[in-house]
Amino acid sequence: MNDDSNPLMMLIWILPIILFVFYGQRIQLYVTSGEIKKAIKKLDAFREESRNELIDYIKKNTSFEIDSIKKIDRFLDYFTIMPVDMDPNGIVDKVQHTVRSREDYTREHIKILCPQLSDFELTKVQTLLELASSLQMIHKIVNHMFLTAKKQNNYPLILPLQMILPFVMEQAEAMREAIPAFESGQPVGDGIGPMVVGKMMLNCEKQILSFQTALAKTDFENRQLFLLKAEGPGSTVGRPADALEKIVSENTINAIIMVDAALKMEGEESASVAQGFGAAIGGIGTERFQIEAVATTKNIPVFSIVVKQSVKEAITLMTKEIADKADDTRLQVYEMIKENTKEGQSIVVIGVGNTVGVPQ
Amino acid sequence: MIFSKKKIIIAYTIEKCPECNMQRKRKFAKDDVLFSESSKCPSCDVICMIEKIFGESFEQ
Repeated sequence: MNDDSNPLMMLIWILPIILFVFYGQRIQLYVTSGEIKKAIKKLDAFREESRNELIDYIKKNTSFEIDSIKKIDRFLDYFTIMPVDMDPNGIVDKVQHTVRSREDYTREHIKILCPQLSDFELTKVQTLLELASSLQMIHKIVNHMFLTAKKQNNYPLILPLQMILPFVMEQAEAMREAIPAFESGQPVGDGIGPMVVGKMMLNCEKQILSFQTALAKTDFENRQLFLLKAEGPGSTVGRPADALEKIVSENTINAIIMVDAALKMEGEESASVAQGFGAAIGGIGTERFQIEAVATTKNIPVFSIVVKQSVKEAITLMTKEIADKADDTRLQVYEMIKENTKEGQSIVVIGVGNTVGVPQ
Repeated sequence: MIFSKKKIIIAYTIEKCPECNMQRKRKFAKDDVLFSESSKCPSCDVICMIEKIFGESFEQ
């Protein structure tokens, strides 16, 4: 009897086939579950770590009451319901109102919770709270998706989670590593825009033009420059669009130049500088919308200079490579002004990004 | 991974003398912020300005 007709050998071949036909998806579910469980455990540790860091920071800087922990936990669970977009008319104003209301509410309640905190410390606590809250939300969502798939014993349901998990983990790890930089008030990669414009503002008279946004006026080769950046060294991005609206309503502006950090594509060199057109500003999109609206109404060209970096580099302590590009970027701003405007004209230069550790 | 080395990031501050442009690298100290006044330049006796703050990663 050769192997082909041996019933035992046939059984050895057929059994796994039957097993995989009927239980293949379930086996895959178990294998994938193991990987996802590890990631969820990591996310849970990040969540806990960020919460403890926040509580420790507040404890170190203020007189702390036991009741404060409950309030912080309540803040961490806060959610934002975005406006209905079935009718998109006026959606940007609604989104802006919702987001700003949340920011104002958080700021006011941190002030109540820690009245001894200076404005500088307050912005740091607000950012740490946002980081802890985001990590909590990421953990909740990933855990929910996993448990739903597990409960239904549904393998296809776990596939999208498996696919997005590496990207989610990259973001979560970046957020966790961002905590020490914000705690110590060190500049982050995203602060390259404020760093460039902040240096241009040195020795100029400054004024606060809109909420947490500083303006300085100066001259450069017979052109008037309006330099804008978030008010440093606190952890804030300011409201440059509001400030731009004010400047444009009172002056004739011939060009807008925005300096910002931009996400690099895979394979692109970190800290490379690129120039382009259009408003270089991230976030939820409301600031960009406002800047584009002002520029379009007044027919002002918008130029941008960006410093490329990864997600992690953007929110963690600025790397040497990025910091070394500040002078080169500033020279490119001056070059761009000379190339695109004439003498006697006015230009707004906006340093976009989080200005933690970067005054003006 | 068992054999992967742990990466640590150390923050540094670069001070620059406005007179002789000499740059000095030191470890980041609490309350350091960019463009603020720092220690005196050893050669010109002028107050230096913080030019850069950045992190460098090392394997442990």
